[in-house]
Amino acid sequence: MKPLLRSFGIFMYQITRDNMLWAVCIAPLLVAVFFRWGIPHLETLLCVHFQQQTVLSEYYLLFDLFLSLITPYLFCFAAAMVMLTEYDENITSYMAITPIGKKGYVLSRLLLPAVISFFASMLLMHFFTLTVWPLWVVTITCLLTSLLSVVIALLIFTFSHNRVEGMAVAKLSGLVMLGLPVPFFLSSGLQYLFSPLPSFWIAKFSVERDILFLLPAILFSLLWVRLLYRKFEQKLVQ
Amino acid sequence: MKVRPLLLQDIKFQYKYGFYFLYLVFSVFYITLLYALPVAWREKAAILMIFSDPAAMGLFFMGAIVLFEKGERVLDSIAVSPAKPYEYMLSKLVSIGVISTVVALVIGFSGGVIANHFYFIAGVFLCSCLFSSVGIILAAKITTLNQFILATIPAQLLINIPAIAYLFGWKPFPLLLHPGVCMIELCENGSNALFAIIILILWVVLVAILAEKAVAKMLRSVGGFKL
Repeated sequence: MKPLLRSFGIFMYQITRDNMLWAVCIAPLLVAVFFRWGIPHLETLLCVHFQQQTVLSEYYLLFDLFLSLITPYLFCFAAAMVMLTEYDENITSYMAITPIGKKGYVLSRLLLPAVISFFASMLLMHFFTLTVWPLWVVTITCLLTSLLSVVIALLIFTFSHNRVEGMAVAKLSGLVMLGLPVPFFLSSGLQYLFSPLPSFWIAKFSVERDILFLLPAILFSLLWVRLLYRKFEQKLVQ
Repeated sequence: MKVRPLLLQDIKFQYKYGFYFLYLVFSVFYITLLYALPVAWREKAAILMIFSDPAAMGLFFMGAIVLFEKGERVLDSIAVSPAKPYEYMLSKLVSIGVISTVVALVIGFSGGVIANHFYFIAGVFLCSCLFSSVGIILAAKITTLNQFILATIPAQLLINIPAIAYLFGWKPFPLLLHPGVCMIELCENGSNALFAIIILILWVVLVAILAEKAVAKMLRSVGGFKL
């Protein structure tokens, strides 16, 4: 436990030294404030401008979904960037043979940030959502978005050999979030083309509030984690 | 002039590390998205996409590129080679500018937004050079990727917000002194395009000079020793 906490401490020190920790804490809060008060204000302006009853209000739930994802995403993105730097500087393989071990490295760089961001995300969702969310739906959605962020961090780390590729993959990994708006814009069966994306099932679950969609959301997330984790492990020992 | 070999190496490097593949995927994605949007929104959406992504890619990637070169000791070799700082910088600006312009042309043609080819190409290329120069200035001073990402936020806000406001209809004439606004004016083939191109060139030259100074300073201090 002690090496694990020490390793997590090193991670926290790195992102504090870079000021990334403050960005990771403040950016979701700014986004939440903008979503909670800016979006309804923008909606009023747009309704007047386009002379419509509603423009954005049909998508308030989508804004809430993005809100639930932003904290874990930023935390795990920062973790992925730290891991990439450590990999480039050959620190990763040394960490893996210390008492921290491979498991400890993964826990301190991916799981602990995801767990912390889950609680932070819950807190934001409690105060800043635009629509009404029952507690059980918020809890499950935040759990799933945290898991999705772990997938994104794994994706960035495993598919890049250095920082430059890491940035390219980071940009590409944004497409994993593409499933979130799908149920809002595609009502036909075509939407199921996005089934492999966990984000699609997270959105389906939040829209329908049906526990049935939980199963594919968890299954696809775990499948991504499993596939990526294998590559991740191989990369750690390289 | 060592620009040609540097440029070829940069293009090779960017190809190897997936920039071309990445922007192929994103071009397909953006074009699909454009066709999913109502026709009335297409022009503004296409210009917004071009401005915020391919044109700004230098700002996004420069930190990783420079940090990687620092880590692999490429800069140490460049520092002792006959290549001048401005040649190193020029090679980065042109290599990224080429990708930006090609991707922008593909998106622009697909969205049917190119009214004047010369202004469009000049606008995107110059804006890409501007973003890349800002990226070089920031990258020369940082030591980690997270630092770079944070450092780019104020630059992005300063360049993006007035340009987006201009795109969506807030068009007082003095705003044309802003480089991002100039790119929008050029891509839209606005009535002040000639003025915009002059202003944008001035901005690019100014920021490129600052970038060249930052590169020279960085090359003098690689290896932890100031020459």
